Amino acid sequence: MTTLNKKLSRLLPLSLALLFLISGCGTNSAKSGAGASAGAGGETAVPAASQAASASSAYADYPNRPIEYVVPFSAGGGVDLVARTVVEGLSKEWGQPIEIVNKPGAGGATGAQYALKQAANDGYTVLADNVASTTMLQAGSAAAPLLLSDHEFAARVVTDAPVFVVAADAPWKDFREFSDWAKANPEKLTWTSVGPAGFSTFAVAEWLKAIGADFSKTRMVATKGASESLPLVAGGNAVLAVHTVNETSTLVKAGKLKVLAILAPERSPYYPDVPTTAEQGVEGLSVSWWTGMSFPKGTPQEIVKKWEDGVSKLSQDPDFIEKLKKLQLDPNVLTGQEFTDFVNKEAEYYTGLATQTGIRK
Amino acid sequence: MSNLSMLLDGFGHALTPMNLLMAAIGVLVGTFVGVLPGLGPTSSIAILLPVTAVLEPTQAIIMLAGIYYGAMYGGSTTAILLNIPGEASSVPTCLDGYPLAQQGRGGPALGIAAIASFIAGVLGVLGLVLFAPVLASQALRFGPPEMFAVLLLTLVIMMGMTGGRFVKSAVMGLAGIALSLIGLGANSGMYRFTLGWGPLEGGLDMVSILIGLFSIAEVMRGISEKKTAISAGNIGSVYPGRKDLKQSASSIAAGGLIGFFMGLLPGCSAAVTSFLSYDFAKRISRRRHLFGKGAIEGVAAPEAANNATSSAGFIPLFALGIPSSPPLAVLLAGLMIYGLTPGPMLFEQKGSFVWTVIASMFIGNVMLLVLNLPLVGIWAKLTRVPFSILAPVILLLSMVGAYTVRNNLFDVQVAVVFGIAGYFLQKHDWPIMPLILCFILGPLMEQSFLQSMAISGGSLGIFFQRGLSVAFIIAAAAMLIFSLYMVRRTKKRICEERGDSLSIVNAEA
Repeated sequence: MTTLNKKLSRLLPLSLALLFLISGCGTNSAKSGAGASAGAGGETAVPAASQAASASSAYADYPNRPIEYVVPFSAGGGVDLVARTVVEGLSKEWGQPIEIVNKPGAGGATGAQYALKQAANDGYTVLADNVASTTMLQAGSAAAPLLLSDHEFAARVVTDAPVFVVAADAPWKDFREFSDWAKANPEKLTWTSVGPAGFSTFAVAEWLKAIGADFSKTRMVATKGASESLPLVAGGNAVLAVHTVNETSTLVKAGKLKVLAILAPERSPYYPDVPTTAEQGVEGLSVSWWTGMSFPKGTPQEIVKKWEDGVSKLSQDPDFIEKLKKLQLDPNVLTGQEFTDFVNKEAEYYTGLATQTGIRK
Repeated sequence: MSNLSMLLDGFGHALTPMNLLMAAIGVLVGTFVGVLPGLGPTSSIAILLPVTAVLEPTQAIIMLAGIYYGAMYGGSTTAILLNIPGEASSVPTCLDGYPLAQQGRGGPALGIAAIASFIAGVLGVLGLVLFAPVLASQALRFGPPEMFAVLLLTLVIMMGMTGGRFVKSAVMGLAGIALSLIGLGANSGMYRFTLGWGPLEGGLDMVSILIGLFSIAEVMRGISEKKTAISAGNIGSVYPGRKDLKQSASSIAAGGLIGFFMGLLPGCSAAVTSFLSYDFAKRISRRRHLFGKGAIEGVAAPEAANNATSSAGFIPLFALGIPSSPPLAVLLAGLMIYGLTPGPMLFEQKGSFVWTVIASMFIGNVMLLVLNLPLVGIWAKLTRVPFSILAPVILLLSMVGAYTVRNNLFDVQVAVVFGIAGYFLQKHDWPIMPLILCFILGPLMEQSFLQSMAISGGSLGIFFQRGLSVAFIIAAAAMLIFSLYMVRRTKKRICEERGDSLSIVNAEA
């Protein structure tokens, strides 16, 4: 009996190893098959000449295992909700699970550092980016933990406009009046933001600069995000909050907040009665919110391209558009070089703004 | 009373076999996950959110609510049987639950926990029905100064709770605050106490510290004491006796009320309310000397509070879209995914949905009782497993739990370091509780203080200009004086009857 056991125990690893070999062969053959058929289907040519043909066929069947989609903010925020919508569409399209992993902390820097610096650049770790974890992060501090140069930008998915909200019973009837009040009483103006280089900070700084009010005399009330800061404004504990259409909709509909203006070229379909900042005499404001995705430096161009095409295709999908509409968002896709240029231009502008207003430390 | 007819209508929807199944699955999965150390309601809802995506919105939310309740209860099971709190809110449950289990009365303790959870949960849901529109509007008035005053009160009560070792507990409390400051400063956006070391930039996570101080330290102590089995042997009947129920009645009522009303406040988590109600139950009890040594009402109070808070949190969530705790924030994400933006509009537009969910909470609470009381035996069997098997399992679960917090190996290292620290701290009689409480509340306190200062332009007067805040501060001062007096008295008592205790938490009282 014991000898049999011994024999079995010796056989077990062997048979396991055999199994692995067989299954390995299986996947390999499947791989080459998939590669061949993709090639026949007229796959795009490999841009980098240095890449061997064998390497290109290795990427042709990307993705062939689950992808990790890192969201550097907590679940339920704007970035997270958009990420979940994107992931749902693309994983259906590619037939591979894409798993959302929330790694919040340090204004998005914690998750971004993980995805861009600790993870392999093989295309199986993607970072959900937004304006706060990229351009504002770099502009807000001379010693930013991450720079734009650490990203391989793939696509921007949506943009959203900031709106200026005050308590429902606040005395100002419009943005013009509110701006005059802020200019005359900067020391009475309290506004909420996730931090000295947060999204709202840039919007407030830009607005105050445009109307000629003293930004340094106003006071920031630091919060963890919209879910904390909007109740503060609604309850009369802070004067102003600047958040996106998506984030403010709940309390606005509840009649607890008044929207004074929307910072956008034109009015939002979700707030048709709210005039833009320019309509109310404050010209030249441009801060806007966006979210998209990027990869670590050195990720194969083919894979990045696959994501670019995937997102472009998704943005035409009625089901996807419908899902975003429920979040009060619309797709606004930018890919490749255009996206990179957009980000660089934005960073330059924010760095200038941050330097002038004293945000940049 | 249209609310009531809406609710009855909701019951009609919730009682469909499919929805009942969803609630049952949610409660079971939630309890199971809650039993795993470190996998709290937040992570379990977040993990299961994609799973529910295949369901209809109503079914998905019903399931998620079940998971939420189940996870809360699961935490108490491990707290009582193994002295391992699954999340912060079940820490106070350990204080008396574990000694009870050691005395072979784990069964009644688990039974009382289930019953207290059930009663408070139902109370909470009733409150939800009656007060939803009214209370939600009051929640907004509760600004940073009020929050700061409440936290001050909580910490003062905690100081008084640790009995004779005022200085030791103050030192541990300050250590907790210091640890909580590591990472990115909320107001300054600057890194603090990171020693220039990358991993510290994200700060220390509460769950990994809890896992370290409780489960890992527990395993280490077991090894050093050459423990043979964790259990004290006999579990006893699961159904608490009439005496147990009588002793717990007032604690359940008080805990339920505290949990419910505090739970309405944004940022007041179940951890805060369960500590508060434990302290309160201890204050009003005629058997104070028994607390920490196995007083059944010491289990009932925090369990009632923690479930009432879970229910109350739905009020600001549904009525205003304000999540008052991390798990509810994830639940909000779930609502948003299904295109159900919370707010009073939700009650108008999707009335039937909201009331169906509220009705299913009732059902979920019933299921919790019906499913968990018979299952208690299964959980209890855990304690009969030899320690040599349990220890590696606990360690494994602890590591997994610590890792899942942020999917980060650093949190696992933190848990190990705190496990070792916790072992030596217990050995030398330094109370753990102040450290944990201050670690949890420190950042909230700092933030509400800084927010208050920003609002008032740096004048401390803001804390004394508002009725609510003044009331809390006066209460805190009174408690401080009272507890200083009590300390003197307790010191004497401790000298009289200090016995050697094996449990960490026995060292607490």
